[in-house]
Amino acid sequence: MASPQELGKAFSQTYYGTFSTDRGALFKYYHPQAMLTFEGAQVSGQEAINQKLTSLPFQQVQHVVTTVDVQPVPACEGAIIVQILGQLKTDNDPPHGFVQAFTIFPINGAHLIVNDMFRLVLHNA
Amino acid sequence: MAANTDAQKKDGAPVATFKLVLVGDGGTGKTTFVKRHLTGEFEKRYVATLGVEVHPLVFYTNFGPIRFDVWDTAGQEKFGGLRDGYYIGGQCAIIFFDVTSRVTYKNVPNWHRDLVRVLENVPIVLCGNKVDIKDRKVKAKQITFHRKKNLQYYDISAKSNYNFEKPFLWLARKISGEAGLQFVEAPALAPPEVKVDPALMAQYEKELNQAANMALPDDENDDDDL
Repeated sequence: MASPQELGKAFSQTYYGTFSTDRGALFKYYHPQAMLTFEGAQVSGQEAINQKLTSLPFQQVQHVVTTVDVQPVPACEGAIIVQILGQLKTDNDPPHGFVQAFTIFPINGAHLIVNDMFRLVLHNA
Repeated sequence: MAANTDAQKKDGAPVATFKLVLVGDGGTGKTTFVKRHLTGEFEKRYVATLGVEVHPLVFYTNFGPIRFDVWDTAGQEKFGGLRDGYYIGGQCAIIFFDVTSRVTYKNVPNWHRDLVRVLENVPIVLCGNKVDIKDRKVKAKQITFHRKKNLQYYDISAKSNYNFEKPFLWLARKISGEAGLQFVEAPALAPPEVKVDPALMAQYEKELNQAANMALPDDENDDDDL
């Protein structure tokens, strides 16, 4: 059985790999009632999440993960919370920092995202 | 942000400088547009904490030089709205859409709403870009938003430099309050990558003038239903 650390790291590799190559397949990693807050816009449910992720208007995106912090969720056997700090680059735009946090639950032998919160690391001053 | 010390007139006095924010959907040509001005392109700086590229564009007028510090979003609008910090301190703005993409015009009211939420009463120009492309989807008579909100409108083609100076001239006149302000020296621009058809541009101008004399569609929910 993978440790929470290993699970979190493997998850981030798979998730961002799919994000670059096949954004339309990302929804499969989400629980049917999962929630996503993307740059402040909140959606819930697999279909709405798929719609949000596939409608982002860049052609290409690459994520480079700097750190992955993972904790097991107490009293929820096998569940983890993951916080990722990294940088991403879209099209010919300059790179931006980002933070993303996931909670991931084991459901029928698979690990599914139930919460996902994403922000670019950009400030007001 | 940095002060204006790096832009000085020959007599050492600082050049009047104004923050200009560019907004509009990703892919409408904001970056292509601002990069046409060559000295601005050489002197641009990227501010990573804000995720913006600032291009200092200087124009020479019969009232002396004027500098627009043009803020470009560096792609962050592709993820959603922009941070308030992008707008704060803005003294004028240009809203972009792409005349070959209806959805980018439909989003203009959203960009305008976000803009005036932070910046009340700044002069705003609406620009329909890519008029060099023959398959135009947003026609002159469909462009009415600027009339409801008292914005100035121009057709532009960033890749051909068509009407490049128009938005800046209008904003310079508004900001200075000098209706007689003129540009006395053309800025160095990147050579055109495409050519526009002068006859077609004349036709578009005629259509815009005709549209300006038509009654506005009576549309209560213009912010939502364009």
